[in-house]
Amino acid sequence: MCTMDLSNRDFSYREQGLIASLFVTLIVFGGYFYSAFTKLALNPAMPSIAELIFVVILVIVFESIMQIFIRLKNTSQSEDERDRLIEKISYKYGYWVLSACTWFLLVQLLLDATFDHLTVFSTPSGIFHLLLLFFVLAEVAHFVVQLYYYRRGF
Amino acid sequence: MAKKITNNIRKLRFAADEMSQQTLAEKVGVTRQTIIAIEKDRYSPSLEVAFKIADVFGSPFEEIFNYQESEVI
Repeated sequence: MCTMDLSNRDFSYREQGLIASLFVTLIVFGGYFYSAFTKLALNPAMPSIAELIFVVILVIVFESIMQIFIRLKNTSQSEDERDRLIEKISYKYGYWVLSACTWFLLVQLLLDATFDHLTVFSTPSGIFHLLLLFFVLAEVAHFVVQLYYYRRGF
Repeated sequence: MAKKITNNIRKLRFAADEMSQQTLAEKVGVTRQTIIAIEKDRYSPSLEVAFKIADVFGSPFEEIFNYQESEVI
């Protein structure tokens, strides 16, 4: 029987790292996209490079702090065949998410062009933010699938 | 009814002077979480890891791993 054993709180080094990465990605990019999409309708200008660099630096700083903390807490940091297999499977799901989202955008752009009805997402800024969102969603799927397989097993 | 791989690693560990999962993991070259997953039949190891486990216990492969019918729920 395949069930998720959520009562088992014995998270491995890899799981702790994944939870940290997922948390940082959701918090930093969640904040960024909330701000970007609420501003998009009013001001569909491209984001400044400084704004994007700031987001990337935030991710690097938070991620580094959390990963250092996790490394200090865990004596065993080795990786084995099961870790590599789970990572490989999660990349497949991440690719599916990215692929589905990209097709969604392509169809939407085609429909917008065909019916001459440009939405805010057809602007360069809208397309930029959607593509960035799709990459982040694929990354989130990559983390979530790994956590799922670590808990559920094969 | 579907066939699945099961194992007696837990029993063998206790028979081998109550060997810990960590010790077995170190001898085999995997993480403790992988040993836990194998013992709970949640992960089927590669042939290489399976043979290494058999080597640690000094038992024939088929005494440790079984391929048998199990109920699918």
